[in-house]
Amino acid sequence: MAVQVPAPATPALLWRLLAVMRTHWGWMALGIALSLVSTLAGIGLLAVAGWFIASMGLAGISGAAINYFTPSALIRAFALLRIGGRYLDRLINHEATLRALSQLRMWLFGRILPLAPARTGFLGDAELFSRLRADIDRLEHAFLAVLVPVAVAALAMPVIVLVQAMYAPLLAGLTLVAALLVAVVLPLWLLRRSRGPGAAIVALESEQRALASDSLRGAAELALYGAGRERAQRLEALTGEATPAPATPDRLQSLGAVAVPLAAQGLAAASLLLATGALQRGALAAPDVAMLVLLALAAFEVLAPLPEAFAQGAVTGEAARRVFALADTPPAVHDPAHPAPPPTRFDLHWRDVRLRYADAGPWALDGLDLDLPYGSRVAISGPSGAGKSSLVHALLRFHPIQRGAIALGGRAIDEYAAADVRAAIAVAEQQPHIFNASLRENLCIARPAADAAAIDAALACAQLQSFVAALPDGLDTWLGEGGVRISGGEARRVAIARALLAERPILILDEPLEGLDAVTARALLAALAHATRGRSVLVISHRAEGLASLVDRQVSMQAGRLIAAPSPVPDAGPA
Amino acid sequence: MHARDVRRWLGWSIASGVAQTALLCLQAALLAWGLHAAIFEQQPAAALVPAVSAYLLLALLRAGLVVAGRQFGFRAGREVVAAVRGELTGHLQALGPLWLAGRARGELVTRLIDGVEALEPYFARYLPRLAAAVALPLVVLAVAFPADWVGALVLLLTAPLVPLFMVLLGDRAARASERRWEVLTRLGEQFFDALQGLATLRLFGAGARERARLAAGSERYRRETMAVLRVAFLSSLVLEFFATLSIAVVAVLVGFRLLWGDVAFSRGMFVLLLAPEFYIPLRALGALRHARMDALAVAGDLDKLLAQPLPQRRQTARRAPPDTPPALAFEDVSFAYEPGRHGLDRCTLELPAGATLMVVGATGAGKSSLLQVLLGFALPQQGRVRIDDRDLDTLDLDAWRRQIAWLPQRPHLFAGSVRDNLLLARPQTDAKALQHAAAAAGLDAVIEVLPAGWDTRIGEDGYGLSGGQAQRIGLARLLLRDAPLWLLDEPTRHLDPAGAEAIERTLLRCGAGRSVVWIAHRLGAAPHADAIALMQRGRVIEHGRHAALVAQGGAYAHLWQAQGAA
Repeated sequence: MAVQVPAPATPALLWRLLAVMRTHWGWMALGIALSLVSTLAGIGLLAVAGWFIASMGLAGISGAAINYFTPSALIRAFALLRIGGRYLDRLINHEATLRALSQLRMWLFGRILPLAPARTGFLGDAELFSRLRADIDRLEHAFLAVLVPVAVAALAMPVIVLVQAMYAPLLAGLTLVAALLVAVVLPLWLLRRSRGPGAAIVALESEQRALASDSLRGAAELALYGAGRERAQRLEALTGEATPAPATPDRLQSLGAVAVPLAAQGLAAASLLLATGALQRGALAAPDVAMLVLLALAAFEVLAPLPEAFAQGAVTGEAARRVFALADTPPAVHDPAHPAPPPTRFDLHWRDVRLRYADAGPWALDGLDLDLPYGSRVAISGPSGAGKSSLVHALLRFHPIQRGAIALGGRAIDEYAAADVRAAIAVAEQQPHIFNASLRENLCIARPAADAAAIDAALACAQLQSFVAALPDGLDTWLGEGGVRISGGEARRVAIARALLAERPILILDEPLEGLDAVTARALLAALAHATRGRSVLVISHRAEGLASLVDRQVSMQAGRLIAAPSPVPDAGPA
Repeated sequence: MHARDVRRWLGWSIASGVAQTALLCLQAALLAWGLHAAIFEQQPAAALVPAVSAYLLLALLRAGLVVAGRQFGFRAGREVVAAVRGELTGHLQALGPLWLAGRARGELVTRLIDGVEALEPYFARYLPRLAAAVALPLVVLAVAFPADWVGALVLLLTAPLVPLFMVLLGDRAARASERRWEVLTRLGEQFFDALQGLATLRLFGAGARERARLAAGSERYRRETMAVLRVAFLSSLVLEFFATLSIAVVAVLVGFRLLWGDVAFSRGMFVLLLAPEFYIPLRALGALRHARMDALAVAGDLDKLLAQPLPQRRQTARRAPPDTPPALAFEDVSFAYEPGRHGLDRCTLELPAGATLMVVGATGAGKSSLLQVLLGFALPQQGRVRIDDRDLDTLDLDAWRRQIAWLPQRPHLFAGSVRDNLLLARPQTDAKALQHAAAAAGLDAVIEVLPAGWDTRIGEDGYGLSGGQAQRIGLARLLLRDAPLWLLDEPTRHLDPAGAEAIERTLLRCGAGRSVVWIAHRLGAAPHADAIALMQRGRVIEHGRHAALVAQGGAYAHLWQAQGAA
């Protein structure tokens, strides 16, 4: 559900990127200056060398005296500037870029966080991952391969043309035209041509990533259905040389790469002819002929990276587009400008709440009324799609509601900062994410400072003692990605322990009994009833049976509203 | 086939590099001659036109060769990436779902996509440049020595120093590169994990903490990358040093020899023109050094992955499985996920052909392990499983799996349309059979409200479909499959009671006549099963018909009462 913004042009995107990297501008300027010095030194070296040996040759023949100290000192100076400048320039430019990228990545993560789960679900984890990892890595080119070469060329070319103009104005004009042609016209053309394929490459990589991720996660089903081979082949086909997407930019890049040397050689030939003419007319000294020819050959070194850089620029621009599109996606819910102080009372009331996920979509909540005074316990049951999860999402301020109101402690929840609302509520999710970390860290997400006694109590209540006892390293056992080393039922009980540990006034349990055998289920409910005494509890389940020992009221939901009048369950109130 | 293609493309790429060198020498000679004629023989510009035209023609030819060489290299690179990626995917699949379940998926995807991609620049650019870096200096020296031996000697003496220093620095660079790659994969893993848990992080207000943790990882990656780059830049500094210095030295030496009249200008100029070109391939190689380091680090890492031993079955025979509903027998079967973590512990169990067995018991009792063994995902360390009169170990696994329809705990929804997701179970199915299966699974009502019906794409993780709806997709696949053996892992989880009962009725009706192993937490259908097996700690502790077990008053009776009371 990434918001469709009209795609801005690549240069605009790159400017915006630079603006985000503002804090690193000083380093960048230094890097560009060093790059300029070493480039000019390299060109100067060749031109002076050409002049020097022509002069020496002439002096050798004529026997005239010659001051060879100045040019040979100049040659040495240029050589040293070239060597040292190049090293420092690389070091500083890369340092600046990597710092900027690291900052950019954290910036993007900060922008993604408020989008979850309402705005991130459709993109999928793998796609988000692509943008945060690969796309941002690709932005490296924006500075190193686009900005630096462009700035150096723009600064160095006038110097070179000026030098040429002092000797042969016509040649300077030719150089200017050729430079514009291969460094401005050609790159722009390449950029236009490679925009489509550039986007295709990025999309292709995303597709490969999604396919790979899918093939690994669904490996069991693929093995059973004998479809694994076909998936591997599809991934291979998406990669091979027959895939047109990467081939076109590569060809364009190589065209760009040969154009500059070709122009340099053309100019060297023109220099030879023009300078020879000038020599014949007496407008030029003989050694200057050699100097001009070598200058022409060397000068285009400045332009060499440009066409290739601009072709890369398309891919970079596309990556920037995707990054900014994600960063600019507005969160589903905004905090009020002046949030009310955090709630101190925790009665909850839903009044005529309507919610839908898309403008023309069906109502997920359709006039819902529900009361959960502080300390009461309610179970909501109903078939999947009845709106049970939407009710919770609306309360957690993950999704805005279109009509009606939800009140927490006597005040509409949209008057509080959303984080303050969530801080009052602990949720044990139905499909919890188990982080790639130890069991202890997974629990302490809810409360970083939880002590051992609190953790033990939460585990005991969630009926996890024997599970923990069987783990090789107890609480410090690493739980694999997605909690795959533990079963779904165990993951859900870890989520329950996590929610208990948070010690919040309101506890929401989403399908707490799913996947549990009847004996464990009963023990869990009894322990929960004890542990949550005095707090509000909301249980969500697709079936009503078995919850009576925990809650004092059971209601049913269908089509986004309650259907049965709330019926008190006798003798099961909070003790 | 791939290897041959790769070699051929590489060969062409290298040949074009050598041809470019020859043209380059000719160009230098023409230019030096032109300068000599203009400066020392006072020839008019018109007299130089033939040489200049030849020079330009050669320039065009060289450009053509560059483009062609790059194309060839590109193809070689793509071929390698495709072949390695295909092989690796195949290997990962062969390692099986149990092995994969223990691995971080973000890390594997990083290896499979970014990792393998890092091989391309190595084959597409580095190897051709390496060949050029060997060939070009040899050709240039061969022509430079006759022209001016002093200048050529400078080139000859400095050239070997470059690779020497690069090798000296190479070891350190390779180690740094490996470390960087390691940090990169771990960082990828960390980011992927955080993204999957975004909602949880927000629930507990832990977003800022996680962000700080990621920032530390990101910072570490930057430092490691800079460590690699510093070494790489140091080696290019060495290169730059020799390349630039030798141009300066050649210029000065040639200059003085000209002054003393030891050498003709055209020859001296020829060597000076060749001097910068002499180092270009080495310099280009230096620029691609990190491509080589990345590729080597990645190759080492992928080798480790490919060296993961595939699960070995004890028998080598590959017999055809029965194609009728089989009788199953577990005889003293033990299986551990890892040492000390038993799935099955000397489990013994029988199922007559065509009967329905309901397996019950607490989480972790080994119920799913039964199915993992039957599916061939888990190989028993002890005991044997008999399929009719045959040992499961001796069956052709692919053929055996074709006899199975399986409803896993959490059916995986593949990125694609609803239709594609069902067709996976049975690719050649007509629309009518699809409709029929969907209706029987209660999926038709779900499809009706989806925006694009059957063509609705269900996202990477089935976004938009609830757990119950995903379960119905799994059910529809099961029914479509129409196999003689059914393995059901909690088919009614995520469903409300009315839905669950409807599905149980469908399963009992459609499962009649098949062999069915049915793992259940809900005991609603238990009275209809031919047998019940109650599992605890990896073995069957009670076995029999529902009525008999209830009458027996053991653990099963207890469970039945608990459920009834609830």
